[in-house]
Amino acid sequence: MKTSKLIVIFGVIVVLGLLVYFPGRKLARAHVNEITAVTDHPLSCTSCHVYISQNKLISKMVNADYLSPLNMAVSNDGSKLYVVAQDINELIVVDVEKSEVLNKIKVGVHPHSVILNEDGSIAYVSNQWSDNVSVIDLAASIVVDTLKTGNGPSGLSISTNGKFLYVVNTFGSDLSVIDLATKEEKKRLTTGKDPTGTELSPDGNVLYVTSRRANFTHYGEPLICDMTLVNANTQKVIKYTPIESAHIMENIAFTPSGDLAMMTLVRPKNLIPTLQVEGGWMMNHGVGIIEQKNEGKVVQLLLDEPNAYYPDPFDIVITPDGKKAFVSSSGVDRISVISIDSIRTILAESSPEKLKNFSNNLGISSRFVIKRIATGANPKGLALSPNGKRLYVAEQLEDKIAIINTESLETIGSINLGGPIRITVARKGRRLFNNAGHTFQNQYACYTCHPDEHEDGLVYNMAGKDMGRNMTNTQSLREIGETAPFKWNGKNQTVYKQDGMRFSTVLTRTEQFSYKDLDAIVSYIMTGIKYPPNLLYNPNGELTESQLRGKVLFDRSMDNFGNNIPENNRCITCHPPPLYTNLELADVSTLATTDDPILFDIPHLNNIYSSAPYLHDGRAETLEEIWTVYGQDDKHGFVNDMTKIQLNDLVEYLKSFRGPEYENSDSSIQQASTYKSN
Amino acid sequence: MEGMIVFTQVTGDLQDINYTTGDSWRYIPDSRIVALNSNKSEETIKVLTEGFYSACSPVISYDGQNMIFAAQKRTNDIWQIWEMNLENLKARQITFSTENCIDPAYLPGGRLVYSKFTTNKTVKSGHTLFTCNIDGSNIRQITYNPHAYFASTILQDGRILSISRQLYPDQRDGMFMVLRPDGSKEELFYQGLKGSDLHSRGWETNNGKIIFIESNNNDRKGGNIISIDYNRPLHSRVDLSSGIKGDFYAINSLQEDKLLVSYRSPDDDRYALYEFDAENKTLGQAIYKDKNYNVLEAVVVKKQERPKNLPSEVNMSVNTGILLCQDINFTDEQSEEITSSTSKAISIEVMGIDSSLGIVEVEKDGSFYLKVLADTPFRIQTMDENGQVVYGPGSWIYLRPNERRGCVGCHEDKEQVPKNRQALSTMKDPIILPTQMKEIHKNRVH
Repeated sequence: MKTSKLIVIFGVIVVLGLLVYFPGRKLARAHVNEITAVTDHPLSCTSCHVYISQNKLISKMVNADYLSPLNMAVSNDGSKLYVVAQDINELIVVDVEKSEVLNKIKVGVHPHSVILNEDGSIAYVSNQWSDNVSVIDLAASIVVDTLKTGNGPSGLSISTNGKFLYVVNTFGSDLSVIDLATKEEKKRLTTGKDPTGTELSPDGNVLYVTSRRANFTHYGEPLICDMTLVNANTQKVIKYTPIESAHIMENIAFTPSGDLAMMTLVRPKNLIPTLQVEGGWMMNHGVGIIEQKNEGKVVQLLLDEPNAYYPDPFDIVITPDGKKAFVSSSGVDRISVISIDSIRTILAESSPEKLKNFSNNLGISSRFVIKRIATGANPKGLALSPNGKRLYVAEQLEDKIAIINTESLETIGSINLGGPIRITVARKGRRLFNNAGHTFQNQYACYTCHPDEHEDGLVYNMAGKDMGRNMTNTQSLREIGETAPFKWNGKNQTVYKQDGMRFSTVLTRTEQFSYKDLDAIVSYIMTGIKYPPNLLYNPNGELTESQLRGKVLFDRSMDNFGNNIPENNRCITCHPPPLYTNLELADVSTLATTDDPILFDIPHLNNIYSSAPYLHDGRAETLEEIWTVYGQDDKHGFVNDMTKIQLNDLVEYLKSFRGPEYENSDSSIQQASTYKSN
Repeated sequence: MEGMIVFTQVTGDLQDINYTTGDSWRYIPDSRIVALNSNKSEETIKVLTEGFYSACSPVISYDGQNMIFAAQKRTNDIWQIWEMNLENLKARQITFSTENCIDPAYLPGGRLVYSKFTTNKTVKSGHTLFTCNIDGSNIRQITYNPHAYFASTILQDGRILSISRQLYPDQRDGMFMVLRPDGSKEELFYQGLKGSDLHSRGWETNNGKIIFIESNNNDRKGGNIISIDYNRPLHSRVDLSSGIKGDFYAINSLQEDKLLVSYRSPDDDRYALYEFDAENKTLGQAIYKDKNYNVLEAVVVKKQERPKNLPSEVNMSVNTGILLCQDINFTDEQSEEITSSTSKAISIEVMGIDSSLGIVEVEKDGSFYLKVLADTPFRIQTMDENGQVVYGPGSWIYLRPNERRGCVGCHEDKEQVPKNRQALSTMKDPIILPTQMKEIHKNRVH
């Protein structure tokens, strides 16, 4: 072929290529802009078509089943570790000296904690998403029994005489006292809200139970979170000790002498306009100390420093000699090491007024924190060897256990639990979600306001235009993939937009996510967060009689007097299953005088029972209050013709709502373990 | 040029330094910037700023490819900011100012910050901070206090660390102030011992320290090596050079725990370049010495981690900023500046440069919520029911357009965070200051 012909052919190909390229690129740009709702996202097909795909096959291919170790127990001779792997529903048995996994024992769904009996022959594992405790014969490595608990079992403790197992029920906000002889729940005691951690005092007389959620208050009233004290002899609640201005008390530990109980906590600044991050204006993190003398005086000390924050403290353990405490600062991948003698000095030397100020002082940590030890991603549960010389750290998003020498305070080893080596995009997103590295000076992570990817039950002053306006009830992030738009005003059509530039200007106040990080966090939020099963109100899809009556009311088009209810005033119109939202905006007459005029994004109602308080500014403590106190004008659904019993039925029906997959599938039994963990 | 050390050289004896005007300190006449290849067996010096009368304050870009510096082309020229490509050593002028521009530093996001001599009614007369694009366009003034700002560096968190000295109404010691690149959220970072002066830029090391030279009253031609923790700068001062005779002039980070210092022993007339071991607090061997020249302000040509590129809340279409104080009666009991009585303050006076902007009664909980004309410096004094001053006036504050700031109290402990309490003042509209602003700026108060 002649050169000229080749040139002509080449030229034609180039021209055709250009003709396709430019309009094609323009079309692609328009497509990506439409899907992401932003104009600057790179033209990357994988972002939407792979990373956030809801297609089961694609999801299975790109994601992986991680282990996510959460809590641990150590055998009495210190040779073995029993690790709760939350995302694979297993208890992993580890040989400490050889740093190898010996066995994996299948337990219930979404296990939370593990505790051993006195001789170390039996392990009890709380299964948070199956409402029971697995009893494991450790010699045989088999589950020999299953004990029924309340809703959402987490923290565990055993009475000094070994006869009773105390199980903290997080979702039910109570404590199951289980008689280990009869294997029956003997009684259930009401605790503070959303309890998790528990510890028996060294004398065996008092059981302490932490709470994660603050008690309901109307916006502006002080925040109070309860520490529940139970008489372990009478098994009755002694009192609820108010812990002021704090919440998310995850775990608690006693000094061996029993003079101090110490718990982890978060001190949010939700009543203050979000003006700045500098100076600790958004979120602080610390420990609470309850003195056993001085009438149980409570003191709070921040772990944070003036330009460095240590968010989301999770676990706390104290060495057998009572000299050091270790706190897993899970939002910054650090272990904060505390000198307990220094804390005793601070308590002894300081006036009550000074101690009160210390709870808001960023400099005080320099007097008692002796080291910050770096760990792998998202350190959670801690366990000490029986002699106190080794600290084991469950690195939840690393699938590893770190080993720290408690004298040199150096990391001396790491045990790989055998999770997937590959870090998927969604897993990276989960790490980002849990890590505060993307907020100014690491002051908080996404997780801080969205613990367990849910919500913290608080209302924040986002100070959008002026202060004192537009109070915002934190919304859950569970299974929001199909529920766009987002935010109460529905202004963000995608998570890409939600977590984009404005997110960094308003919330994180530091450099915005890179596109790769944004892809990862969007992938995790859109695909990786599941609802816990609604075992409290709808365990198997069979509605109670009350719920069935409530369903009729929810679906109705005629009122009690036979009058037609306008279509836009029926529950089912705006809240159709399976998401219980029509994804539209609406005016339900709940705007406050301090709100800018907006329409509300109609929220999805799946698992709505677990998302109190309600309405955009959290003014309703219960679902009932939405209508009995705040919806009397019939603009938020037509309800005023209802009898009290009918309203109760409607509320019972609302509480029965589960994750959308159950509304679509034939399977009514809730199996929460059928997804990739991320 | 990767790995080479670049520094300022100046011949002869150093002149007396003026920390207020920057003379002979930030402005070093007849200086030059040279590069030292210390890897070669025989040190070789290459002059990078041939053709300039004065050139000093070199800073290397984060990719290690370029250098910015302040220079005078000829004697009596205005000082301008220049950038040099370290590959071909070609220099280009960035600023074309009618006033002196010095002390440049690279900001992330293709901008830079520098000090410029300014005279106007808000800052009176002094050096203010400006930012601009790397090509010199889009110039923005970012500080508005009657202070002199010198010797900026950028912290890894993205903020500017600058030596700032109050000039009006009275002169005070220099201190490190920190602010965002848009000028917002300015706050005290470090205050030296009474009577001391900050002598050099503060550089952040890769192990969480800020290192700098601090002089005292007796010696204005050098000082000691001070290290503070980034995490807690106000209470972590360590004198690394304690016990070492002689003076230090400038400092920079070489590698982990190893510093580059300009040092002059009591027997020497000139500053030379030394390595300093921060961990063991010992001076190493001289890296470079010249009997005719002082070696000042050394930097290593290398790639460095880019600081965070902070978002900006400044909106130039808004002409006010917002200030919330939680409780004016919350003060640091240790402070020596709590002047008068133990009486409770019930009002504040917001004082501008030349006149009062207004007197405001605070709420019962001690809070106030102001909307103040942006880019206008003011101080606050608190007063009791008899109009007697309880505290103040405090330090100068300015708010950038659309900036929102909060303070816990008046002259409070800087490490105190706010109580989680809804201030009564936030339940009302803000008080607009100056009180006559509505009339002055009709339809523009937003």
